[in-house]
Amino acid sequence: MNAHWQGRREGGGRFALWLIRGIGLHLGRPLARLILYPVTLYFFFRRGAERRATRQFYARLQGRPASAWQVMRQFHCYAATTLDRVFLLARGTHGFAIEVEGLETLEALHAEGRGVLLLGAHVGSFEALRALAGRFPQGRLRVLLDKAQTPALTALLESLAPEVGAAVIDASRDPTAIVLALAEATREGALVALLADRARRGEATRMTPFLGVPAPLPTSPWLLAAALDVPVLLCFGLYLGGNRYRLLFEPFADRVTMPRAQRAAALDAALTRFAARLEAIARTYPRNWFNFYDFWQATADATGTGAGAAAGDAGAGADPRGHAGS
Amino acid sequence: MNAQTPAERELAELIVTSLNLEGVSATAIAPDAPLFGGTLGLDSIDALEIALAVSRRYGFQLRSDHPDNRRIFGSLGALAAHIEQQRSVSTA
Repeated sequence: MNAHWQGRREGGGRFALWLIRGIGLHLGRPLARLILYPVTLYFFFRRGAERRATRQFYARLQGRPASAWQVMRQFHCYAATTLDRVFLLARGTHGFAIEVEGLETLEALHAEGRGVLLLGAHVGSFEALRALAGRFPQGRLRVLLDKAQTPALTALLESLAPEVGAAVIDASRDPTAIVLALAEATREGALVALLADRARRGEATRMTPFLGVPAPLPTSPWLLAAALDVPVLLCFGLYLGGNRYRLLFEPFADRVTMPRAQRAAALDAALTRFAARLEAIARTYPRNWFNFYDFWQATADATGTGAGAAAGDAGAGADPRGHAGS
Repeated sequence: MNAQTPAERELAELIVTSLNLEGVSATAIAPDAPLFGGTLGLDSIDALEIALAVSRRYGFQLRSDHPDNRRIFGSLGALAAHIEQQRSVSTA
């Protein structure tokens, strides 16, 4: 249960993805969605680690183990959003019903020419957020993604929308080049989006209560926010079923400061707030939880829901109050 | 340890003050020792802060697409040499 997410091979493979793309673009979305049922069954029966991770998530969310039905719905939701990436990239938001909340703040900051850091998570569809790029001038939305983690999917999606691919800052590059590229983008007034819920191998984390149990959350997004000195917004592209998505933008901090002397406490304060928002999103939209690995790492008790399981290293200053599983 | 050139010494002081490295003496940063991941314990975010401080002090940007970034950020000596070179280019 303690496998790192980077160790999981990409599911499906290149041929299956190209097949899905062909069927999707030629037969249309309603017919293509029929593929989701066998895909769901394939994942349910063949990807044990993902199945166990989903059960663990629901155990912590609802205080009782997930049913097989819940797990399958989770995989179906994930497969549906993955298929929709093909349509969102090939045809934009046409045919989708996308609600947007909180875009005003983002547009106001952008109008001032300020760079913005958008922090998301592996919840719902990042692609639905990228579809928003059309509302901003060319090149104004940059996304930090690890092209090496899902090479087949990356190649497929970039073939559909090369300009979207060009907006990606590749996270598998040299770390110094990445942070300099992020600084260049925000200096030019770009919106830079990255996912702040998973640490890469060897990246620093702090144990932060999530659903009542400390989970290792990466610290670099917050140190980066402080170094870039830009406003931070949280963003989530949530799949509501059918053809409906809801994009949420929430102002998080006008600026993040991480004084070196009080860095641990400042990090824990930001991470605890972030985890609380992530938890609220996970509770409201549980089927959008797409962290299919042991999110809590090294916490052996997969059914723990309360204080008993939360006895791990919570980090200096972290406050587990109000996060006990219900 | 004390073989810093004046340019290296100036950069070392900039690094120590901009990163607020308490307990680290600028003169103790060896010109050829690794800046990152070594005994100084600096990471890529620190590299960003150094790059920002360099641009404020010297008025030019360290670019993300420079092919020699790994070498340039490899040591105090390499970074100081790169800064010298860039400054002579921009003032020429």
